[in-house]
Amino acid sequence: MDHSSHKEVRVMLVDDHPQRAAMVEQALNVCGFHIVAMLTSASGLLFQIQELKPHVVMIDIESPDRDILESLSLINQHNPTPVVMFSNEEDPAFIRQAINVGVSAYLMEDINPDKVKPVIDVALAQFEMFQALRQQLSSTQQALDDKNTLDKAKRLLMKHQKIAEPEAHKNMRNLAMNNNQTLVDVAKNVIAILDQDSKKAPVDEPK
Amino acid sequence: MNLNSLSPAEKTHLNIGYMRLSDSAPLIIAHEQKFFERYGLEVTLSREVSWANVRDKVAVGTLDASQMLAPMPLVTSPGLKNTSGPFITGLMLSLNGNAITLSSGLSKQLDIDTNKTGDSCPDPVIAARRLGKIISTLPRQLTLATVYPYSMHTFQLRHWLRLGGICPDRDVKIIVLPPEQMVDNLARGIIDGFCVGEPWNTAAIQAGVGSSVVSGYQLWNNAPEKALVVAEHWHNNYPSTHLRLRLAVMEAATWLSHQENRQASVPVLARQQYLDLPEHVLKPALLGDFQYSKHSGTRNNRDFIVFHRYQAGFPWRSRAEYLLRKTLELQGETMSDSEICQLTEKVYRADLYREAALLLGYKYPSTDYKKEGVHTTSYLFEDSLELGPDLFLNGGTFSPCQP
Repeated sequence: MDHSSHKEVRVMLVDDHPQRAAMVEQALNVCGFHIVAMLTSASGLLFQIQELKPHVVMIDIESPDRDILESLSLINQHNPTPVVMFSNEEDPAFIRQAINVGVSAYLMEDINPDKVKPVIDVALAQFEMFQALRQQLSSTQQALDDKNTLDKAKRLLMKHQKIAEPEAHKNMRNLAMNNNQTLVDVAKNVIAILDQDSKKAPVDEPK
Repeated sequence: MNLNSLSPAEKTHLNIGYMRLSDSAPLIIAHEQKFFERYGLEVTLSREVSWANVRDKVAVGTLDASQMLAPMPLVTSPGLKNTSGPFITGLMLSLNGNAITLSSGLSKQLDIDTNKTGDSCPDPVIAARRLGKIISTLPRQLTLATVYPYSMHTFQLRHWLRLGGICPDRDVKIIVLPPEQMVDNLARGIIDGFCVGEPWNTAAIQAGVGSSVVSGYQLWNNAPEKALVVAEHWHNNYPSTHLRLRLAVMEAATWLSHQENRQASVPVLARQQYLDLPEHVLKPALLGDFQYSKHSGTRNNRDFIVFHRYQAGFPWRSRAEYLLRKTLELQGETMSDSEICQLTEKVYRADLYREAALLLGYKYPSTDYKKEGVHTTSYLFEDSLELGPDLFLNGGTFSPCQP
């Protein structure tokens, strides 16, 4: 890719996720785009646009600043009308993909949309990667939560039935098999029933 | 109504968007009071942060339907053409609910703080004229905020400014801010006032950072405010689902038209997953006891936000025409009368309202058009329908061009 022509494309990023913003910035930098600012929502977007005159604003779709951005033409007739990236897109799947990964882009009218398309492609890829990372993280978190639930149920059973850990585990597994439930569901039921008692006589929680 | 006589829903799980505003109540109540369930719909309500988001998500189908500002389905703004619609509405969600609030400093200068005069509400025309007189002597240009370029809020703000001889394009700077950022920006002195829907005026007043100068109701009695909007192709794919959706929301709006239910709705709307605000911020507008400034008395107006009553749900094509003409004026664009009629007929689907009203046994207007600015009190339309007053502040009437 010839990166020299990208230098003239001035990009502003508005994103409340600092990690994602950093990912997008880095990727755009590598491709040779000129990042004029990275902002969070509600940090004076209008003033920044007037000062820095970006060609394209990449904005987190969940940023409340989108309405501000779209009003540029109303508030000052000398400002260019921002054009949402979708205006030049024929492909509805692309638009849906962008919305689902959470990015939107506004082109300031005084630039050739073809020059900006690579910016959008790069940002879109980074947003997708960030989304995938988050999903991975949340499934790891889920596994951790499940383990804590199992541990807590076991401790309650051990205390309540005065049994050892292997036996508590065996009892829960039998319950799961007999009731056609997952072990985590059984653990949740155990907690729901036995935790009543624990409110009277609290079980020590791992800190 | 025999629910079994309805065609089955083509789609049963729906994502519906709403904003953090008091007039989201019909959607939240339809969910909480299980009206959606009654009509076989499993609804996930999605709290959105911008009107742009709502528009784009309905356009691509991430949301099946959403609360929108009444002009939004009619507007394809220049440069944003392909993202907008085409949208339709078969049900309006609410009338009124906005107010214009000025910073405490400006209110003091205009002497509109009503606790001194003993009135519960300032005279909005006098206040506008006073502002008009002092505006050129102020050290800097005033900045006022609205929530979206094409909204009743913008029209109401411009209307009020003009009452004081103030040119909204030249004498002040009007910007857009999301509703929930208004109070903070007012407190920080970044803006001098705003027009916003409740509960954000009350939030500013109770925080002591501003006083309201006029309500939306005063500027145009019973103005259209929000609509339940879907994409036209969505409606074509899921007509029975759409009908069930309208029926559920109409029942919720009817439920909300009873004062005791309004009371009951406050703690529900206040919940963290909905408006996430203390009940005392929601109460004044929803219960009709709006307080214009922190230490003033309340002014009782049961119509501060109207659900269901006065045929509030009916998508009048004449009102669509009014909103469209106001929008075109702002955009500096023109459309012929016949183009306007074509667009309002396509977007404001009075026929879809009647289809649902008939099933619920509700009365409805037989015509899609009415005049505005004519009635000082509520009146009977077509001999049996109670409609609310429709005056504009300081006169003026609107007659639609009927096809």
